[in-house]
Amino acid sequence: MSLTFSLAHLMGGIILVFGFSLLSQRRLAAMITIYQIQAFVLSAAAFWQGYAQHEVNLYLTGLITLLIKAIALPIGLRMIVAKFNMIRAVGTAMPVLLSTIIGVGLIGVAVLVVLPSTLSAVSLTREDLAIALSVVLLGLLVMTTRRNALAQIIGFLSTENGLVLAAIGMPGMPFVAEFSVALLVLLAFLVVGVFLFRIREHFDTLDLTGLEEIERRGR
Amino acid sequence: MILTAIILPLLAAPFLGLLGSPRQGAIANVVLSGIVFVLTIAVFWAPGSGLVHADNLGLIFGGVTGFTGLTTAVASFFYLREAEPRLSLRRWRVYHAMCQVVLGSTLLGLYADNIGLLWAAVEGATIAATLGVSMPRTPSALEAAWKYFILGGVGIGLALFGTMLVYLAAQPALGPGFSAMSFTALSAHAAGMDGSLLTLAFVLILFGYGTKAALVPLHGWLPDAYAEGPAPLTTSLSGPLINVALIAILRFRHMLEANFTGGGTALPPGPFLLTLGLASLFLAAFSFSRRRDARRFFGFSSIEHSGIAAFAFGIGGAAAVFGGLLHMLLHTLIKSALLQVLIRAAALRGSTAPGHYGFSHLRGLIHSNKYTALVLGAAMFGLSGLPPSGLFVSEFIIISQTIQRSPWASLPLGLGLLLCAVAILRNLGPLVFGHAPPRTKPAKATPETHLVTLHLALAVVLAFAMPPLLVGLLSQVAEALK
Repeated sequence: MSLTFSLAHLMGGIILVFGFSLLSQRRLAAMITIYQIQAFVLSAAAFWQGYAQHEVNLYLTGLITLLIKAIALPIGLRMIVAKFNMIRAVGTAMPVLLSTIIGVGLIGVAVLVVLPSTLSAVSLTREDLAIALSVVLLGLLVMTTRRNALAQIIGFLSTENGLVLAAIGMPGMPFVAEFSVALLVLLAFLVVGVFLFRIREHFDTLDLTGLEEIERRGR
Repeated sequence: MILTAIILPLLAAPFLGLLGSPRQGAIANVVLSGIVFVLTIAVFWAPGSGLVHADNLGLIFGGVTGFTGLTTAVASFFYLREAEPRLSLRRWRVYHAMCQVVLGSTLLGLYADNIGLLWAAVEGATIAATLGVSMPRTPSALEAAWKYFILGGVGIGLALFGTMLVYLAAQPALGPGFSAMSFTALSAHAAGMDGSLLTLAFVLILFGYGTKAALVPLHGWLPDAYAEGPAPLTTSLSGPLINVALIAILRFRHMLEANFTGGGTALPPGPFLLTLGLASLFLAAFSFSRRRDARRFFGFSSIEHSGIAAFAFGIGGAAAVFGGLLHMLLHTLIKSALLQVLIRAAALRGSTAPGHYGFSHLRGLIHSNKYTALVLGAAMFGLSGLPPSGLFVSEFIIISQTIQRSPWASLPLGLGLLLCAVAILRNLGPLVFGHAPPRTKPAKATPETHLVTLHLALAVVLAFAMPPLLVGLLSQVAEALK
């Protein structure tokens, strides 16, 4: 049992560290690599939980995560980066130092909110939940501090990794595999979907500062 | 029966994406929506059981969704006649397919007795609606769609986290498995749930589904999406989607309230909802005056009414919940009517493309067509909530309950309602009776304006005649979810 705990926590911690390092990284290629490692660790965590909880569903989640999030999605993202030649660092809405400090604050909030309110739950779930909520909040922070559409998507992907991390830690929750598939549909739609290409078509850039048509026209 | 109503539109969507001409797509859309409407009425006699079944709340709002879906499909048919050359066949295929996906997911969200399925339905509807908003492919439509997607995605993520926490909070009472995800079981055993975890879950769910219900501060996507997307899909059909989100919030609110009154450690849900509700009401009240685009203007009005419903749920008690639900019901009818007649009004002035809905462009509508102008005026008047509008009844119930239960909140509520009503009425006069722009020619009304009249008449009848069936169902719901 103790091995279950420590390994699960170790993997959760690694996912959190990579979620955090997304904040300070301004190159898209590096952000994609970080996301990819995060997804690999997530799939390992799913397999481990499947083994610990004896749930076939979780193996399925792990497999989906491995194949699509850790392998297929990063390849697709890299192709987009290469196609649009986005090698240089992307713009941020606030200084990296400031967003890092806010990130630390968010992790503190997540821990302070989750740990006291889950006193009755098993401790594995408690700490996993605190980590997962931190990853979710950090992903949201990445989304708000990046100007580039692709960087926002990577933030969203990281958020979603946090959600899957929370889901696999729930004891015997039905639908875990289905949830991750549903989220994947959302992601696939997001990444392959119309936006990148269409925004590029109209603005010659993926930098969303160009998207201020509505502001200018006056609501 | 109930499964057919949900699955038929979802299954038919890919086929609508293959039809040879936009016109065929529009006809198929009308036929399908007609069948779905009949099915949602038939569900009253066969509400089903298990994972997907209609409780009283699902019955009422399912029927309204079916009705709105049908009239929207008809409005869409006439919209197509005018807008067909503007978009390619491929986009029309996507458009009609997305109309059906939104309809099917909305019904799934209303009928699902499972917190996970509800979430999946809202997610599906979000994807479909985003695709719909981006359809005109103009820069501003893309901006609106991107905003919708990012905010909607954040909301969906938070809602999923909240959903998982509810499941976890139910473990002490229900144990692992499907029963800990069923609304019926969760409401019945709310008192035994882990209260503090449930509170955390409720906050996440309130912000998650609150994004879809366009409650302040998560409302940013709605006015843009309304103003930039293709008119019938994003406006009339997205009204029922707001209901799904509000109903979800209402159901989770009930768990929290039941846990609180049952001696659990949960916080009372009232203050959260009252704050968000009042914030939405006041944001709308102060945003009205600066809006020049009519659809954006009425987008803010949706935020207002969503806020009023959330406020009513925050007040709590059977009567206030009854008022809130009645308000949502009537608002859906009136708002979709208004937006449909607005499309017609823009068509009378030459184009229904986004950007042609400015108040200055539409003003003096009575010089173009009397019938359309009067129906538009009636719908706007109805929206302001003054008698004899149906919304007067629901707002009256909500205000009187507020005075009874939390008197301090009645003053801001009354002020907000008044400001909103004044803002809407101020625009009514010039829009309907003002001087028309130069070179305006009289034009003929189209038959679908009668449907709009039907919507309005229905709203008045439901509010003032209060058919016993509706009142019976609604009060049962309100009693169960108070």
